[in-house]
Amino acid sequence: MSSHRRPIGSKAKFKRKVVFPKNRSGGMATPENNPARDGDGDGEQEQEQAQEQQAYWSAAEQVPAMHLKLPLLIDGHVTETSRKQLGVAQMIMKEVSQTPLPLLERATHVDFLLGPLHNGLSSRYTGLDASRPWIFYWCINALTLLGEDVGRYNERAISSLKPLQHKDGGFGGGNGQSQHMAAVYAVVLTLAITAHHAARDLPEAERMDVYARSFSWINRARLLQWIRRTKLPNGGFKVNEGGEEDVRAGYCALVTLALLGYDEDELKGDPAQGEKPLLDGVLEYFKRCQTWEGGIAAKENSEAHGGYAFCVLAGLCLLGEPREMLSKYLDLDRFISWLSARQYAPEGGFSGRTNKLVDGCYSTWVGGCWALVEAAANGIESAGSPVKMHVGSMWSRKALIRYILTCCQGPRGGLRDKPGIYPDFYHSNYVLIGLSAAQHYYYYDDDEDDDEYGGASSAAEGARSPFRHAFRWKASRNVPKPSDPRDGRAGGWEEGLVPSEEDRVGMQHPLFNIPLGAEAQLESWWRLFKGAQ
Amino acid sequence: MSYLRAVMAANDHSPRVLALTAEIIDMNPAHYTVWGYRFRTLMSLDTAGQLGTDAVAWTWSRELDWVQSIARNHEKNYQIWHHRQLIVDHLADSTGERARTEEMFALDSKNYHVWTYRQWLVRRFALFDEEELALTTKMLGEDIRNNSAWNHRFFVVFGALPDGQKPAEEVVEREIEFAKKAIQLTPQNPSPWSYIKAVLRKGNVGLATLQSFCEQFSPVSSPDDIKSSHALDVLSEIYDEAGDAAKAEKALELLASKFDPVRKNYWRYRRRQLGSNSPVVSATA
Repeated sequence: MSSHRRPIGSKAKFKRKVVFPKNRSGGMATPENNPARDGDGDGEQEQEQAQEQQAYWSAAEQVPAMHLKLPLLIDGHVTETSRKQLGVAQMIMKEVSQTPLPLLERATHVDFLLGPLHNGLSSRYTGLDASRPWIFYWCINALTLLGEDVGRYNERAISSLKPLQHKDGGFGGGNGQSQHMAAVYAVVLTLAITAHHAARDLPEAERMDVYARSFSWINRARLLQWIRRTKLPNGGFKVNEGGEEDVRAGYCALVTLALLGYDEDELKGDPAQGEKPLLDGVLEYFKRCQTWEGGIAAKENSEAHGGYAFCVLAGLCLLGEPREMLSKYLDLDRFISWLSARQYAPEGGFSGRTNKLVDGCYSTWVGGCWALVEAAANGIESAGSPVKMHVGSMWSRKALIRYILTCCQGPRGGLRDKPGIYPDFYHSNYVLIGLSAAQHYYYYDDDEDDDEYGGASSAAEGARSPFRHAFRWKASRNVPKPSDPRDGRAGGWEEGLVPSEEDRVGMQHPLFNIPLGAEAQLESWWRLFKGAQ
Repeated sequence: MSYLRAVMAANDHSPRVLALTAEIIDMNPAHYTVWGYRFRTLMSLDTAGQLGTDAVAWTWSRELDWVQSIARNHEKNYQIWHHRQLIVDHLADSTGERARTEEMFALDSKNYHVWTYRQWLVRRFALFDEEELALTTKMLGEDIRNNSAWNHRFFVVFGALPDGQKPAEEVVEREIEFAKKAIQLTPQNPSPWSYIKAVLRKGNVGLATLQSFCEQFSPVSSPDDIKSSHALDVLSEIYDEAGDAAKAEKALELLASKFDPVRKNYWRYRRRQLGSNSPVVSATA
């Protein structure tokens, strides 16, 4: 570590940089390099926050007041919406105020998620089911968040997913089914995860063997042709030929292209055949989906919705640097205001739309937007002081963690929308990704000359990837508090987010929603694979 | 299913496919492959002039009724509404479609798929009319917090305007009054607050025109009389624009510490941005 790299809060005069423990593959920070101990922030605020933290996690009477009572302001005029909201708030208040805070029931969740893998996806889930790759992805990814090694499922994943490849390119949701963008996306993510685990402890050569077995059978050329057929004149994508258009299809297409290593040459198309660059107009398309509320909708004119907001934010960040992309293609102030309004008290969780109820799955869709928004707002430099500032958390991580641990854990394993609703694989994955978003700090590493991280982010050989920015995301086990070098505010770290290490879940890539590091390994494989061709 | 696979492999679009696909859809309406094949079969029968003949008793109208019956039992489904959209687009006739979507709103007044379909319908058949506006007024009368209905209203009022064209002044006036009435009834309802801000922006009317309206709900100097956190939010912007940093700060601090504590970090972030001509996050509309 060079001398200018110090933890935030240290008194370096000029190039003060934030340094995080090295944890690219999700390794544990040791007490020695845990910068959470290092803050020397401004006294009063620090003390106030320390007391709050104390209050947050300890004794019964110290559950934060916002979880113990209904909001101060409730209108008297009753409608269906207010009746439902009040009922849910009262029901959740009883759960969310529990003390001590329940632990993450890791073992029972693992059992729940192993179900479909052990009971055999091949028999029970065939035929009528149109979402086999989804169930695979949800369970596999959720298991990695819980610390399970899913490498042993790699061969099974390959043999189960291979038959879903369509002769005309792409993947279907089951054997003999036509292609669907969401199925393609889920297939690619599943393989990216299982191959990553299967390969991670092997020597270089064998690692590449695992990747060859996992990916070289995918017909990339036909897949690209199929994706071309889903492209719309308005810049967006359909879920399949003849299928519906929405930003989810656009996001899934971009993730697929990014993780399967397509470069600018491949995407620009053949003008002789009337093909246009595949990504033309997609950014403007995303931009048009921001609504009058400030949030983002499935398509133009629809209602702002957390799920689609994530698709657009992640979609924008797949194609560029977060600050530039989000401020160029969104009215970011209004977006942040809408996003922030998704978090409710006493519940602590997020709703997906204005005047709708909280649901555990928005821990990912809304919670996942925050990392991207914070990255866009962070690190603004001014000519006078070439140092970075941090906006800190713009949401309540602790309130979300409390909602997840008290309300989203099914008593017999699995995670769920809210109490009273059965857990399922979808919610299990997206509640846990949200928990990871709350526990960790995800940031975009814009240090161009930083070859320390090498590999993924260094200048790619051959044709450039339009997705190169997507491979520059890093994570920290510690979350910085607001700092502003211009006025001497020092920052430090948010404390007490993970009071017990048993509760900590894995780190995820904030755009791909796969374990952090899986994307880099996959990228190296494609470079090798394409280089050999 | 394996039977259907054989049928599809043979590219068979005979009438029996209708019964076969209906049976599978009935069991799993998310089966997009089957929906797609059913639509292509219907199109093929239509092209051959066979729909509604003795050979094929089925018609487009019966198809739409059948789809509606599936929709009633499977509210959260993408395929049903897309299938409907393909058919109605093909028929180029929207007769009965408004009533059908309204029947669905009676089951769930915020159904995302149905609203998205309704927006497509309005755009496709240029239905930016009184009837459409009246639907939103009626639904908001039933539930003034129905944000989907607010969203539709904004679309109906402003959606037909060409890009960059300003709406008529009386329309802007009317919508401001509509939102103000809703706020009077439910000052803590976020929907009309977002709506009024969006209407002002659309009509190029300054936020400051709302100052006294907001102060009647949330007098910053008298926290015990505050009735709306949203009024505080708007006031903080108005005070900031006017250069009254102390009052703006007070409004945001009341939000952070008292009226909206779960969003404390956001309100504090907003407080740190006060007075900056170049906000940390610059907005490009």
